[in-house]
Amino acid sequence: MNGLLLKDFYMAFEYCRAFLLMVSVFIAVSFFGDDNIFFIIYPTLISGILPMTLISYDERDKWTQYSGTLPYSKSQIVSSKYITGLCLGGFSFILTMLASVVRMNINGVFSLSKLLFIGILLFILGLLGPSLLFPFVFKYGTEKGRIAYYLIIGVLWAGVMMFMSIGFVNSDTPIMNIGSKLVFINTVSISIALIICAVVIALYLMSWYLSILFYRRREL
Amino acid sequence: MNALEIKNLTKNYGGFKLDNLNLTLPGGCIMGLIGENGAGKSTTIKLILDMISRDSGTIKILGRDNRENIQLKQDIGVVLDDVGIPECLNSKQVGKIMSHTFTNWNDKIFADYLKQLSIPPNKPFKEFSRGMKMKLGITVALSHNPKLLILDEATSGLDPVIRDEVLDIFSDFTRDENHSVLISSHIVSDLEKICDYIAFLHKGKLLLCQEKDILLEQYGILHCTESQLSELEPSAVKGKKISPYGVQALVLRNRIPAQMGVSPVSIEDLFIFMVKESV
Repeated sequence: MNGLLLKDFYMAFEYCRAFLLMVSVFIAVSFFGDDNIFFIIYPTLISGILPMTLISYDERDKWTQYSGTLPYSKSQIVSSKYITGLCLGGFSFILTMLASVVRMNINGVFSLSKLLFIGILLFILGLLGPSLLFPFVFKYGTEKGRIAYYLIIGVLWAGVMMFMSIGFVNSDTPIMNIGSKLVFINTVSISIALIICAVVIALYLMSWYLSILFYRRREL
Repeated sequence: MNALEIKNLTKNYGGFKLDNLNLTLPGGCIMGLIGENGAGKSTTIKLILDMISRDSGTIKILGRDNRENIQLKQDIGVVLDDVGIPECLNSKQVGKIMSHTFTNWNDKIFADYLKQLSIPPNKPFKEFSRGMKMKLGITVALSHNPKLLILDEATSGLDPVIRDEVLDIFSDFTRDENHSVLISSHIVSDLEKICDYIAFLHKGKLLLCQEKDILLEQYGILHCTESQLSELEPSAVKGKKISPYGVQALVLRNRIPAQMGVSPVSIEDLFIFMVKESV
């Protein structure tokens, strides 16, 4: 599988320079900013789903067909994208966390629980994107897969809004406040966040398995 | 050992059916797969490489079932119609990727072919001409000591000089009796030049699969009048073209009276006559 990973890294370096630059800018902004959650989570969120962009290029360049002629199983082809996503997302995660540590220290407001929570939030959101998106992409290809993904997200969001409108979910619930500041840190316990982490890891592994199943059935 | 054995292979797409295909490619030989667009050549190649699933039948590559082990593909070099190399990569990067892909990858062979075929090592693939892209695909296919080459329209887009050079490379490749080539092409003259076996596919069915020399020996073109043609044994005539100037018929040489002059047939003419006759 090393050849597939090497190819993805060559391509990521070539095609995703703009993304990588954007990620660096966002990390820099989060470094100088004041706990703005958007700038903190965005780099990891984007880096985790960069393999989706690589899959689009694979389809355009007919690599999808060519890879079927090489001595790689379909599970290796799928796994290489997940591993590439983990590496790129992991790299952004580490940079963002380092930037947060430095920022907190410079501002003299270092808080381990706050740092831990940023880490958990990045971890959850970083894995959630590819977990939901990749199975659709491997089943339907990037174009149809992207549409299916947005449909699912739309339906889920509509569901949340519906529950909110009937009072099932309170708009003061911490998860609804992540749009601006990290004010929710004190309201959600770390233990609940860790449980959510475990669920997200399970979801990610399930997504990986499903993608392999879907891709095995796909005709190249 | 046979390089390739296909038995009763069927794949139904609804609008198109590859129907009960039987082919055998002996080791050390080159087989040309000839067919019009949509005849089933690429479908056959994809089935051989297990890129699509078959409905029925068996495929053996180098004596092993094609679905048995992915490592079987270590022994196969493939060039597809679209090549499939990512546009942003240059030849050097492709070489590095393939060296991590094929256990038998040989950097020296790769470098030698790049030089022989004048392929620039540092230019991105997107800046290559169609012919240059094909040449890089062929170079990759040959650089890991494969035993079987599978080439889907690999000579299209090449200029006549390079095409000749590439055909020579394929011929040299089969000097080793363990090496074989399955090649599909629209350029029938290329196949006629290098192939030992010829297979005609038409609308998903195999019209014929035979040694090229036997085909050229068996068949001939007869120029005659319509009345002369009607006097011949019907089974001797395999196809005909009637024009105001006379009749041109594809015939079995051994069933034609010796006094009637029969001229040699090209593989291209043979294919065209047979396809028209089967319509």
